[in-house]
Amino acid sequence: MIKIPSYIHFIKPGLMTSIQDLGRFDLAQYGVPYSGAMDRYSLAQVNFILSNPKGAAVLEMSNLGPEMVFERQTRIVFAGAEADLVLNDKKNIKNGQVIDIQEEDRLKVGKFRKGQWLYMGIQGGFETEEVAGSKSWYPEITPRNRIHKNDSICYLSEEERFYPPVDSQAKVRSDWYRTSQIAAYPGPEWSILPKLLQNRILKKAFTLSDLVNRMAYQLNEEIANELPSILTAPVYPGTVQLTPSGKLLLLMRDAQVTGGYPRILQIDNVSLNVLSQKRPGEKIKFSIL
Amino acid sequence: MEIQCFRIHDKLVEFSWPPLISEEILHELDLVSQYLLKTYGEGIKEIRKGYHSLSLRLHIGISEEDCRDLIKEFKTLQKSSIALSKKTWQLPVAYGGDFGRDLAQLAKIHKMSQEEIVERHVSGHYIVHFYGFLPGFMYLGGLDPSLFTPRKSKPDRLMSKGSVAIGGHQTGIYPMESPGGWYAIGKCPIPLFDITSDPPVQIQVGDCVRFVSIDVDSFKAIQELSELGNYHLQHD
Repeated sequence: MIKIPSYIHFIKPGLMTSIQDLGRFDLAQYGVPYSGAMDRYSLAQVNFILSNPKGAAVLEMSNLGPEMVFERQTRIVFAGAEADLVLNDKKNIKNGQVIDIQEEDRLKVGKFRKGQWLYMGIQGGFETEEVAGSKSWYPEITPRNRIHKNDSICYLSEEERFYPPVDSQAKVRSDWYRTSQIAAYPGPEWSILPKLLQNRILKKAFTLSDLVNRMAYQLNEEIANELPSILTAPVYPGTVQLTPSGKLLLLMRDAQVTGGYPRILQIDNVSLNVLSQKRPGEKIKFSIL
Repeated sequence: MEIQCFRIHDKLVEFSWPPLISEEILHELDLVSQYLLKTYGEGIKEIRKGYHSLSLRLHIGISEEDCRDLIKEFKTLQKSSIALSKKTWQLPVAYGGDFGRDLAQLAKIHKMSQEEIVERHVSGHYIVHFYGFLPGFMYLGGLDPSLFTPRKSKPDRLMSKGSVAIGGHQTGIYPMESPGGWYAIGKCPIPLFDITSDPPVQIQVGDCVRFVSIDVDSFKAIQELSELGNYHLQHD
């Protein structure tokens, strides 16, 4: 099969557009975050539909989405957030649908209607630089950490195709992240919280603040507490920290590897994908596993 | 020393020692992680360390009882089996002025002269406990208690690459640009993290770091050499 290196050119970069895969796990001992797709479930979906390797690199986008032009033919699939997608003049593109892309096709990712992160998988995965076993972008680790205007990213276009034309659409629904329940394990410092505060944290509906990025999501409601700071200790994506001022920090995929705030909860992996798709203003409730 | 265990879930367990920044605990953590890798290597996904904690990510789930058994195994380990090939690295630092914009303020806080702060900082024998915060950021133990300084209440938007700073009971070097709440007292002209090298850092956990005060001209000279790849970190 002949594969030709081809490029997607970005006419508009979008706000937080990057390449992600399952993440980089071998350099945490030197302080390098795992990174990887915020919503790993959607990453798995697009790669599954395209028969790609499980961890093939995909394009991760958030509101505002980018606008791009494809150099040569390929196939793409979307999953995760629901956004207005326009291919040339064609609207009504749905998540899970395998889209045949032709030379010079122009794709615009418009308004996000639901969810925080949108994933675009491409046949064979993106061919960007692999650093320490991963293609996930992170500042100072990979040459780029987000797409800028006029950037290009590489994929392999397959001239010949040996599989049947697309006539069906995989069932990709986005109601899996509608739940407001976030399941978590007690963290190492949970037990030093007074019972009263534990109960408040489990009964309260929390609201996502505007501070939502790949490193952490911050919640609006505060939990006044007198917990002491801890000596710097390991933290992971999914660790919930309680700061002295009462803020709850929910660490996400680009989380630092260690932290000095009490770690009260550790969010379950499935719930971490759900959480990643929540938007500022949306409510969540914690439940203990 | 007493070791406690907290099982977050069956594949994520944290062992903790008394909450102290201590060389003895550092060595025990080292010993335990070497033992774990040697004995259970295939079942281990990752070992991550803090000052007094060792976090274990596993491929296979383990029970509370397994954890208690592990602690018993840790207690039988002999300290003599530590591989002692620890190095002492000399890191050149230009202090004060444009290199360390907060040195004057720090001197004022501690009612010392700037020279005195620098003197105390270069006298220290710092041990690398672990890496965290940023890629290549060393958590160092051994700061002179007279230099302990509460972090700034409002972090600075930008600490430049190579900034040597003091915050809380700690001192450290910012390996890359970052916001930061510590007091910048100087700058190190040599990059400490290089993703194109394997491993990306030369200084290993357990090694020692000493700071050597240099002047502006040496800073520029070392920086140039280093950019050309002709400066090598020095150690005993």
